[in-house]
Amino acid sequence: MISIQSLRFTLVGTAMAAFAVPVLAQETIKIGVSEPLTGSVAASGTYVTNGARLAAEVINRKGGVLGKKIELVIEDNKSNPREAVNSAEKLILKDKVPVLMGAWSSTFTLAVMPKLMEYGVPMVVETASSGKITTAGNPWIFRISPTSAMEASAFSKKLAGMSPAIKKVDFLSVNNDWGLGAAAAFKKTFEDNGITVGRTETMAPDATDLSAQLAALKGTGADTLIVTSGIEQLTLAIRQAGEQRLPQRIITTGGSFPEPLLTSPGPKGYASQHLLFFAPWEPQRAVYPEVAKEFSDAWTERKYDLPGQTEGFRGYDAILTIVEAIRIAGKAEPAAIRDALWKVKVKGVNGDIAFVKEGPAGKESGQNEPSVYIVELKDGKVAVK
Amino acid sequence: MDQFLQHLVNGLVTGSTYALLGIGLTLIFGIMKVVNMAHGELYTLGAYAAYGFVALLGVNYFAAIFLSALFGLAVGAVIEYLLLRRRNLAAMDEVMLIMIGVMIVLQNAELLVWGGVAKAVPSPFSQEPIVMGGVSVSPTRVFVLGTAVVLLVSFYMLIEKSRLGLAMRATFQDKDAAKIVGVNVSRIYTLTFALGSCLAAVAGALLAPVFVVSPTMGDLASLKAFAIVILGGLGNLLGATLGGFALALIEEFGAGYISTAYRDAIGFLVILVVMVARPQGLFTKKERVG
Amino acid sequence: MNALRSSPLLFAACVLALALLPVLWPDPYMLSVVASAGIFIIAAISLNLLLGFTGQLSLGHVAFFGIGAYTSALLSLGFDLELPGLAQALVVTPKPVWVAFGGGIFVAGLFGWLIGKLAFRVRGAYFVIVTISFAQVMRMVAINWVDLTEGPMALNNIPPLTLWLPGAGTIDLVSKSSAYWLVLAVAVVSYLLVAALVHSRVGRAMVALRENETLARSIGVTVTDYLRIAAIGAAAIGGAAGGLYAHTVRIIDPDVFMFMFTITMVIMVIVGGKGTLAGPVVGGLLFGLVPELLRGRLTPEVQWMLYGVLMIVILVFMPRGIVPALTRRRKARPAVVQPVARMAGDTR
Repeated sequence: MISIQSLRFTLVGTAMAAFAVPVLAQETIKIGVSEPLTGSVAASGTYVTNGARLAAEVINRKGGVLGKKIELVIEDNKSNPREAVNSAEKLILKDKVPVLMGAWSSTFTLAVMPKLMEYGVPMVVETASSGKITTAGNPWIFRISPTSAMEASAFSKKLAGMSPAIKKVDFLSVNNDWGLGAAAAFKKTFEDNGITVGRTETMAPDATDLSAQLAALKGTGADTLIVTSGIEQLTLAIRQAGEQRLPQRIITTGGSFPEPLLTSPGPKGYASQHLLFFAPWEPQRAVYPEVAKEFSDAWTERKYDLPGQTEGFRGYDAILTIVEAIRIAGKAEPAAIRDALWKVKVKGVNGDIAFVKEGPAGKESGQNEPSVYIVELKDGKVAVK
Repeated sequence: MDQFLQHLVNGLVTGSTYALLGIGLTLIFGIMKVVNMAHGELYTLGAYAAYGFVALLGVNYFAAIFLSALFGLAVGAVIEYLLLRRRNLAAMDEVMLIMIGVMIVLQNAELLVWGGVAKAVPSPFSQEPIVMGGVSVSPTRVFVLGTAVVLLVSFYMLIEKSRLGLAMRATFQDKDAAKIVGVNVSRIYTLTFALGSCLAAVAGALLAPVFVVSPTMGDLASLKAFAIVILGGLGNLLGATLGGFALALIEEFGAGYISTAYRDAIGFLVILVVMVARPQGLFTKKERVG
Repeated sequence: MNALRSSPLLFAACVLALALLPVLWPDPYMLSVVASAGIFIIAAISLNLLLGFTGQLSLGHVAFFGIGAYTSALLSLGFDLELPGLAQALVVTPKPVWVAFGGGIFVAGLFGWLIGKLAFRVRGAYFVIVTISFAQVMRMVAINWVDLTEGPMALNNIPPLTLWLPGAGTIDLVSKSSAYWLVLAVAVVSYLLVAALVHSRVGRAMVALRENETLARSIGVTVTDYLRIAAIGAAAIGGAAGGLYAHTVRIIDPDVFMFMFTITMVIMVIVGGKGTLAGPVVGGLLFGLVPELLRGRLTPEVQWMLYGVLMIVILVFMPRGIVPALTRRRKARPAVVQPVARMAGDTR
């Protein structure tokens, strides 16, 4: 089951990495992947990587690109910005990949960006949401995931449908670029909509005991608590909030889904809501259902956990995007791929993927605009709103 | 102030497991003078054992705790027998480094087998918190507190009232004299290490459904266990128990009233302060340590 | 231990060979790997001063590494800090890297002095725990004092190394080769410094107190003074390693204080041979280069298990480490005596 699968992944990953020794370089087109496979956000990183692997398989089954098969060279950035830089350097200098996908978290991605400029290699950003990434003036960055500002704006359109209505909001965020950036973006949106902003608490990325923060949030009088973090911390936060009987309704952002709560739910009747970018429970609501279905089928065929699709699709869409760019470029070279990325129009699991210019003039990065879903989790059951 | 009771309850629950961790280490540290850097790994092992039994083998949670305890006992005995038995334990730094080696091997073995993604252990208790006044606590945590207290008391009985406990205390006081009166010191050492590891494993199994199980959870546990042992005084069982509760309460109130961020740092600050002010621990008589 | 002293020719030859490496094999990735190993070797040399020569098992050594790294990075990036009691924020403008590097060494040495004052009041296992706690507290501070250290968001865009030469001014060392040469230079300097210290009167006093502290004290060796010198020296060199790290990797986050780095340095020193000059170098090369060779062939978990097993095996069969085991045949009398334990308890 899960442990056997992780052994299998390790073996496959090792085998793939072993083959990355540049002897057979002419036979495949390499794509570098830097994701957190261990450490505090390993769950999400593993899902994204699996999604990427599935895309590679699906594409290779259809013949690959430019007559060659694609090969993913996967490096673990250990949920750590320094390792992210090391892994990117290794991929660029040693494996000589012409294009990268990564690095999951905003902090890791920001860390890698100077190296992209230094070596001139483009990277498709699949999850990170901090606004800084596309406004830093780095022309080698192309992001398919939404910024926190976009997420907040998409959410603001659903505010009217929330019942009971949101009047006062607290925040519990992981204290890195992503969490703090999301809190700032959502705060602004709420204030623009006349909603009061209450208390903000933060948590270290690897903290497991959140009772102190939750106790502080208990008596604030807010009706909603926005929580931003990865799967593990969302699970802990929701569970512990239920234990302490926090009155606020919980809404999580960032696209992660606390799936451990499906098997060990919180207290009865306790519900939490989650902003996702893909809802695998109702794939027919995707913009391109046939693409979503191809992804879903490949995923379930491998017996991965269903809720993992909420993040796995990011890796999938990223690889689809990269391969399309390689096809348009006609060759697997960094500068050509970068130019081709501007011309990409892909039907992804999340919807249309195309890049618009964002950032200081002359050095823009590419940004895509995706769809947002709200999903409710109650007593171990999921409902897509 | 309404949160005071809540913090108190939270602190007591955590404190009971800290006490288990601390007692296990103070035994090993006090009797065998082994700086057991792998103590946290036994804690992790207990948690993963519980996960394995409950989630993969479908064993009842309470049985899983018992099995994890046995597992911890066995692993502890094996480590002691293989690596420590024939060594000159007086070479403390070498022994400590061996234990570091054990820690590395165990932690990476767990990473290899279970992967880096944290695991959740389903709790057999309902998730409805028990609410009394302004305080709400989950049944799981109440169970943890209860079990830990029972274990602490039984352990105390073992040490103070039984023949085995007498032999252990004798060995602690003066190893050679104990040998002279017929205590099999080698066997006591094995048993001590095994018991200490067993307690750590139980602490891990108890806390597994409260938090999540990950391969690196032992790092912090190890370091906090050392903090507790320092607080309570080396080899002082009562001191370790009180030290465990003390550390948990300091952490809880510190996090609640001063700063949530520095929660885990408090333990280490405590160590530094105690070392400067009263190196032999808060609960021991004065003795030379430097 | 005296093998290399008795053949300065061998030493010079090694240094020359290493210096020619970028010329003979200019692969930038390989150079960065060797430079990285070199940085750890410098840290191991500094740890060896405390661990090997004075016999104090300090397991918080990574703290000095991290302090050096953060100090150097912050000074070269410039920062502003709001301190309670100051009406205006304290502003520090970015300094040239070589100045920041020096600053890192200085601040690390300062902390070494501080720890020396506090930690050496206790011995043995207590000392170990105090040093571990110190490193953990530094880590917590790095994570939480976000105003200064950026916490988990990491200090990014740290400028690369620069060298100041009289006449030439400040030179940027951006290429992998020049960074490599600087690391090599610092490593050689550290090695020679430690060697000089060890062979001086101070060094002999340190060895005396390592062998038998009570006896040393009785003949008038002012133990705490010498321990303090060792602590400051070790901390300063460790800080230098940290500074080099900050400017080659160019991003640091609180994980630089991870216990695992201390363990890595300890493994290097123990396996190589503590109390020997060449030990940390051998250990450092081994544990710096082997992971790269094994990368992709064995997963990191399996690699670390191998290192753990290797460490245990060496501690059981070759407790003095590799270098003494190799040089033992050359010497008539036994190398060095086992340190006497602090606590009650002896052979079984």
